[in-house]
Amino acid sequence: MFVSRARRGGPELCGCQFSCLPVPIVAPAPAENLTHTACAHCGDACPDEPIRLAEEPELSFCCQGCRAVYELLAARNLCTYYRLDERPGQKVKPVELPGRFDYLDLESVQTQLLAFRSPTLARLTLSIPQMHCASCIWLLENLFKLNAGITASRVNFLRKELTVSYQPAATSLKEVVTLLASVGYEPQITLAELGAQPHHANRTLYYQLGVAAFAFGNVMLLALPDYFSFTAQLQAAFGEFFGGLSLLLALPVLLVSARGFYRSAWQGLRQRYINLDFPISLGLTALFVTSVFEIVTQRGPGYLDSFTGLVFFMLIGKWVQQRSYDALRFDRDFTSYFPVAATRLTPTGEEAVPVRELRAGQRIRVRHQEIIPADAVLLRGQGLIDYSFVSGESEPVAKAPGDTLYAGGRQVGEAVELEVVREVSQGYLTQLWNNPAFQKADTATLETYANKVGRYFVALTLLLAVGAAAYWYPSSPAMALRACTSVLVIACPCALSLATPFALGAALRVLGRHKLYLKNSAVVETLGRADTLVFDKTGTLTDVKRSAVEYAGPVLSLPQQQAVAAVVRQSTHPLSQRLAVELPSGQLAVTDFAEVPGAGVRGTVGGVTVRVGSAAFVGQAGDSAGEAGVRQSRVYISFEGGPSGCFTFHNVYREGLREVLAKLSQTYRLAVLSGDNETERARLRELFGPKAELHFHQTPQQKLDYVAQLRQQGRRVVMVGDGLNDAGALQQADAGLALTDTLTNFSPACDGILEAGSFGRLPTVLGFAQDCLHIVLATFVLSFCYNGIGLGLAVQGRFTPIVSAILMPISSLSVMVFATLLVKLAARRRGL
Amino acid sequence: MSIIFILIGISLCVALAFLGAFLWAVRSGQYEDDYTPSIRMLFEDEALPDEK
Repeated sequence: MFVSRARRGGPELCGCQFSCLPVPIVAPAPAENLTHTACAHCGDACPDEPIRLAEEPELSFCCQGCRAVYELLAARNLCTYYRLDERPGQKVKPVELPGRFDYLDLESVQTQLLAFRSPTLARLTLSIPQMHCASCIWLLENLFKLNAGITASRVNFLRKELTVSYQPAATSLKEVVTLLASVGYEPQITLAELGAQPHHANRTLYYQLGVAAFAFGNVMLLALPDYFSFTAQLQAAFGEFFGGLSLLLALPVLLVSARGFYRSAWQGLRQRYINLDFPISLGLTALFVTSVFEIVTQRGPGYLDSFTGLVFFMLIGKWVQQRSYDALRFDRDFTSYFPVAATRLTPTGEEAVPVRELRAGQRIRVRHQEIIPADAVLLRGQGLIDYSFVSGESEPVAKAPGDTLYAGGRQVGEAVELEVVREVSQGYLTQLWNNPAFQKADTATLETYANKVGRYFVALTLLLAVGAAAYWYPSSPAMALRACTSVLVIACPCALSLATPFALGAALRVLGRHKLYLKNSAVVETLGRADTLVFDKTGTLTDVKRSAVEYAGPVLSLPQQQAVAAVVRQSTHPLSQRLAVELPSGQLAVTDFAEVPGAGVRGTVGGVTVRVGSAAFVGQAGDSAGEAGVRQSRVYISFEGGPSGCFTFHNVYREGLREVLAKLSQTYRLAVLSGDNETERARLRELFGPKAELHFHQTPQQKLDYVAQLRQQGRRVVMVGDGLNDAGALQQADAGLALTDTLTNFSPACDGILEAGSFGRLPTVLGFAQDCLHIVLATFVLSFCYNGIGLGLAVQGRFTPIVSAILMPISSLSVMVFATLLVKLAARRRGL
Repeated sequence: MSIIFILIGISLCVALAFLGAFLWAVRSGQYEDDYTPSIRMLFEDEALPDEK
């Protein structure tokens, strides 16, 4: 048995995604390929006789596509591209269908894509997942040198977006996109991009933070004389002026900066739910009202320095919590997977139409590697539909004319003609998105610790405030008021509210460094409290890029292997392509090549006819026992008058899966939901142990229901999946993690994106999330100590502005530092 | 001591100017992409084509 790895798809995974500087792509140099040179454009290994340029023979290219890009750039003096980074290019896919971008000329598509449009200028933002290094930025910002109609182009690298402005008179949207595609940066244009507003990051928080910082600094300065006893004279002279000015400065903080806390507390109240923002709002109100009262009646300087400081610190906490991964989208639905346009067949010929305008009864043509946009009936041609992403079936399904094809499948092979049965919005796949699970608001699925603690906190402080007032009232009504207000003031759980964002925010960044990108810091808490893990099989447990191939039959000589390779290389069938990767390549010419859909391929190499395909096709009696028992993917080969044999493909599980599962099964209940058949049941049972639940032939709806049922039993479920068929389950689970091989490619709506290479770290990551919960609790204890001290002073009526001004910043800062350091320590202990 | 009124007035004006500058920076989108500009400034302007 030999196992191979498909060649690196592209440099998207170079690791420079978020933090470090772009890393030059160094060509992988497998041992047997040492003699091969790396392509000057994309860095892939070149064939034995690399393609060279006549003018610059020292450069070698792996394919015509790469050379074409180089020539295009060289002709315009854009070779800086190759100097900024070594071999920065993208391998250009040879599939260049004529009219692929015709739909961009459609008026309805343009109005939805363009952000700005006038007769002299049009502007739009395109998503280009391929950009990965400094060279990419440079080339994309110099597009105007390639097309004079483009006036400006600007990259947002973190978002992988390009904003292009062009003159509609001189060029067109189609030309711009075609140009991008021709240099290897084909923008991602899917249904989701249509009508999408260019998202602006939330700037409100920055405004609030700025205002709070400004007011905090200045109020602090004005309050400074109060802190020292020798300035009593100064205070007497300017107290009124300073107080008034402080009030003026604190007012925008209350109205602008603190708004978020009040709003959140109010929303909680309306749902009859007390969250942490409620005691915060209560404390802030007490602080402000007391200060205004003191200043107006000239009893003292008030607590405005503490007030502004608190708001400032808590906004920092919010900012830390909000900082997430801009380039990743966690809310993608099926529309991000669907194309924008389809090819409609009319009596006069083909035309491009927006997918949303497809109506039942219309005829469409779907070519090789295109996605079926709507549920349809196959009219003409041999369908071979790859549903792996939609249903989880690992092998493409052969369809004959008359069969119904569901939207979302990818046609492999020849172009087929279909008749649309249902519009896109009513398709089988889109139905899944009508499930209530997708409508659920963006509320936390689990009650966070902070909110739970906050509720007891409110009860306790209200009780204390009333108690203190009742105790002091008989002796001194003034003291009673003072004690009561200071208890309410110190009750502001500012340190408490900072504990969670800082601990979990730090955890978020630690996890991000190890290629697990979470939607927000609350997901860390959910992960830490999970007790059940549900896995999808195809693409999650198995590595779709790899396959193990076993050969049974007479030993093939090298020329024979090369002959088979040469034949299968002509075919686009996925099994052919996998086989081609396995076999040694040679430059053998194939004649009389023919592909019989659903059966196999045949070709003549060196005068010998080679047949590759099903048992019947090559004229072999199939291994009946094997055929009946397990439905494995097999490819039979035969040589005319020569030997014949059979290749068997196995699913290959991810590296380290056994160790991962062994560790996880100690603490979690495990389950597998597979859309595939039961071929692998025995192997999965062995891997997962006797207790795990294994379910096969699961539809997306069944997966969703299964997860919902687990949650009803009170389990906290983490779903790990990858495809559209898992989307419902991912959404339904407490935390849904999408596994992806290329970060920038499609991943369904989820709470976190795990890069496939980091799958082996899953147990460590989950353990770390549990550690983080303990850290949050430890930080709660610390902040309670501060609140305890404050409360002790408050009930005695000794909580003066100066005590407040010292205690509050110290508690906030120490909680921030404590939480961050503990998380770093825990990460190091776990080896993250 | 009434000079304090003027001094505080001036210091507030300076602080307000900084606040204004910050708000302007946020508004102009400088906080939306804090990575690309650091790369962009390293690109050399090519004054004359083919100048090696």
